[in-house]
Amino acid sequence: MTTLIELETGGSVWKVLVKEGDDVTEGQTLFIMEVMKMEVPYDSPVTGRISALHIAEGDVAEEGQPAVEIG
Amino acid sequence: MTWKDEVDDINRRRELASRQGGEQAIAAQHRKGRLTIRERIDALLDPETFQELGMGAGEAELGDDGALKDFSPANYVLGFGKIGGRMCLVGGEDFTLKGGSPSTAGLRKSVYTEKLAVKYRVPLIRLHEGAGGSVGAPKTKSLSAPVFEPHRFRSVGEALASVPVASAALGAVAGMPAARLVASHFSVMSTSTAQILIAGPAVVQRAMGEKKTKEELGGAGVHTKNGTVDNASEDETDAFVQIRRFLSYLPQHVWELPPVATCDDPADRREEALLDIVPRDRRRAFDMRKALVLIVDDGSFFEIGRGYGRSQITGLARMNGQPVGVWANDGRYLAGAMTADGAHKARRFIELCETFHLPILSFVDEPGFMIGSQAEKEATIRHGANAVLTAAMSSVPWASIMVRRSFGVAQAAHYGPDGYVLAWPSAETGALPVEGGVAVAFHREIAQAEDPDAKRRELEEMLAAKQSPFPRAEAFSVHELIDPRQTRPMLCRWVERIQPLLPQLLGPSGFPVRP
Repeated sequence: MTTLIELETGGSVWKVLVKEGDDVTEGQTLFIMEVMKMEVPYDSPVTGRISALHIAEGDVAEEGQPAVEIG
Repeated sequence: MTWKDEVDDINRRRELASRQGGEQAIAAQHRKGRLTIRERIDALLDPETFQELGMGAGEAELGDDGALKDFSPANYVLGFGKIGGRMCLVGGEDFTLKGGSPSTAGLRKSVYTEKLAVKYRVPLIRLHEGAGGSVGAPKTKSLSAPVFEPHRFRSVGEALASVPVASAALGAVAGMPAARLVASHFSVMSTSTAQILIAGPAVVQRAMGEKKTKEELGGAGVHTKNGTVDNASEDETDAFVQIRRFLSYLPQHVWELPPVATCDDPADRREEALLDIVPRDRRRAFDMRKALVLIVDDGSFFEIGRGYGRSQITGLARMNGQPVGVWANDGRYLAGAMTADGAHKARRFIELCETFHLPILSFVDEPGFMIGSQAEKEATIRHGANAVLTAAMSSVPWASIMVRRSFGVAQAAHYGPDGYVLAWPSAETGALPVEGGVAVAFHREIAQAEDPDAKRRELEEMLAAKQSPFPRAEAFSVHELIDPRQTRPMLCRWVERIQPLLPQLLGPSGFPVRP
C-alpha cells in the first residue's frame, strides 16, 4: 500500500533530504518546508521506499499538494 | 363499556408512527448509506434507554365512519435517553417524511426539545438531516408562523447558555436545521453522507447563476475547513462516538461541575521526551500535539476543530481525572500565528470552557497576529482582539505554559486573569520576535554596517538573549521556570490546588456562547 504525504500548509520547499528509490524509516525527516520563516520538517509516518517525489528544493507549493509517496 | 376501542386506536397510531415514511422511503434511505432517525438514536444512546415523546403527533386520516384509515407521523423524533449512564435529550428530523422539512407538529416537537433540555437541565443532542421551510403548496390555506414570532431561536440560545449541546449533520442539512447545527458547543459532520447548505443547488442556480452540486456547495471539503462544523467524522457511527466522547468531559448543566474520572495515569509521570521536543534551532518548528498527549492523562486528548484556524489547537482532555480545556499553538501551520479564523476558534474555545467551568491549560508558542495584506483583509485585529478580550474577561482558572514564543498583543489571549504562568527554558517573550523587530528598529544601523547581514544576525542574537524567560522569572511575571519533564506533575498539583475555586464558579457564564 502506498502512503501519500501531502503538504499541510503552503510555503516554499527548503530542503529535500531523500530521493526516489531511497529506503526510509519511520520518523526519518524527508523534507523541510519554510513557512513564515519557520522550518517545518516532515517526518516519514512509515518505513518503506520512496516511490515518487513530487517536490523539489525552491518550489513554492500549496496546501494539500502531494509531496512524497512511500511504498 | 371500556375504553378499549380508543386504546386500540392509540396503539394503531403508534404502530403506524413507527413505520416512519414507509418501507420504500426507509429502503431509499438505507440505499444512500444512511440510517433512519430511530436507528440513529439507538446507535447514539446506551442500549435500551430511549424514552420517546410524542409519537402520537402527526396527521390522522379518518374514514367516513370516523375510524382511523392512516396516520402520517410528525417528521421530528425526540426523547430522553442515556449516554454513559447519564440522562440526555435527543431529537432529529425524520428524512423519510417530507425530506425532513418541518411539518407543523414536527416543528413544534423540535422547539419543544430545546425547551425541555433547558427545563430539565440535561445535555441536548441534535441529529440533523432535513431542510428548512418551503414556499409551500399553492393549496395551503393558512400561513405558517414566522421564525421570529415567537422567536424560534430563543430556546436555542438558552440551551447554549445552560446545557451541553452537541449536533451532527448526517445527511443534507439546510435552512433552520443548519442554523441549529452550528448553534452548538460541538458539531460534527459525516463526511461520507452529509452536506450543509443555506440553499440547495436549484435555488443557487436560479438566484446566482452558479451551477454546483450539493457536495461542491456544502460538502465536508468546504465545511470542515471553514469552521461551520467543528469536526469531521468518517460516517454516522463515528459521529456518534465523537458526540459521546465530547459529552464525557462535560457536566449535565452549568450548575454542576464537570465529572472527574478515575485516573490510572500517575500524576507525577515525567516524560523524558519533553526535554528535547523543542528544537534549539529557533527556526525549526516542532509537533505540539506530541507534547500535549505526553502531558495530559494518557489517551484523554480530544481535539476540536482541527480543520480550521489551524495555527491554534483546541480540545478537551483530563489531568489526573479532572476535565480541562487544552489550547496550544501549532508552529507547523503559519508559524502558529493568530489568524482571523484561529482567533474565532480560540474565542469559541474559551467560551466553551467558561460556560462549563473547565480549567484551561494554555501551551503558548504564539509569534503574534498574522501579518500581511491577506490578514488585514480578514480583519485579523478585530477577531484577534475579540479572543484577547474573551480571555481577559474569563473567570475560569488558567495555567499557561510558555513553551516557546510568546509575543505581541496576540499572546495576551493565551493567559487568563491571575493565571498560573510556567515557562520552559525554550521560552522567548517580548513585544515581537527579533527576526521582525530588529530589521525595523535597527534598519539604519544595519544598512550602514560593512556586512549588513552579519550586523543583523549579531543584533538578533543579542536581543534574543534578552527575550529569555530567566529575567521574567526573576521579575515574577513568570511564576515558575520549569524542567519541561516536570510539566505534568506541576499541572496535576495545580489542578488539585484550584479545586476550591471551581464550585464558586457554578451557574451561567457572564458571556454567552454564540456560534
